[in-house]
Amino acid sequence: MTKTIVRVFTIADYEEEEAWLRKQHREGWKLMKMIPPCFYTFEACEPADVIYRLDYRNSRQTEEYMQLLKDFGWEYFAQCVGWLYFRKPADAVESEQDGELFSDNASRAELVNHVVKTRLIPLAIIFLCCVLPNFIRFSSGEYIGGFGSFFGGFFGAMFVVYVFLIVYCGTKLRKIKEKYKN
Amino acid sequence: MEDKIRRIYVPMTESGFYILFCLQEPQHGYGISQQVKKLTGGEVSISAGTMYGTLSKMEKDGLIRFYREEEKRKLYQITDLGREILSLEIRRIERLYRNSKGGDYND
Repeated sequence: MTKTIVRVFTIADYEEEEAWLRKQHREGWKLMKMIPPCFYTFEACEPADVIYRLDYRNSRQTEEYMQLLKDFGWEYFAQCVGWLYFRKPADAVESEQDGELFSDNASRAELVNHVVKTRLIPLAIIFLCCVLPNFIRFSSGEYIGGFGSFFGGFFGAMFVVYVFLIVYCGTKLRKIKEKYKN
Repeated sequence: MEDKIRRIYVPMTESGFYILFCLQEPQHGYGISQQVKKLTGGEVSISAGTMYGTLSKMEKDGLIRFYREEEKRKLYQITDLGREILSLEIRRIERLYRNSKGGDYND
């Protein structure tokens, strides 16, 4: 038996996503795959306490990296736009660090920096170079009629989504970095 | 030695120190983590992602180098630059230790 849940986690919500996946597994649902942007397919399983962890590698993962994670007891099972999904049974964890992908603040902060550089900044660039100019153009009333109002509405909606995402993710990623400051 | 590398690595993080220390003998990532656990009685435990990130960075900065591959696992070994950094760090820790015991440290 499988189920698919629609749920949105932004690039700044990976810690909440990990906790949510752990909770699902505890309730007898193990994640099979994830289809971007927000479809999670679960398969019914024995309820168990399994730790889920996400790493953002943005296609930088190598055979060496995968082997190392495997040696540390992490099962790799899915990926989604640069994010890699790993899990490990909680009873296989000997120390706090065994249940984490990162054991020091420097490497936790590096993950955040990598997300900012390769996801948040491109988002801001698309916003500044495409969404914003079009939003201004179509809301200035230069184009009238069905065509104008369709694109006006489209870029209006895009404008709202982008502003929300940039502000929300920017603030949250900064908070995560603050939390892991030495 | 490049001053920049020295500024980055001295003082070192605890994981950084143990990784470099263990690589005086060729070793792969998981082997290092097991050795560190043993050396510290389980007090220091390095997670997988931190291990991978530190190894990549140290290799890029020339502190360690690729030694050989063993069943998809990369073995690394310390370089001369790495040894230099490690001995600087050990001297710093010795000073800390002696001072913490109330003694003076004169080189």
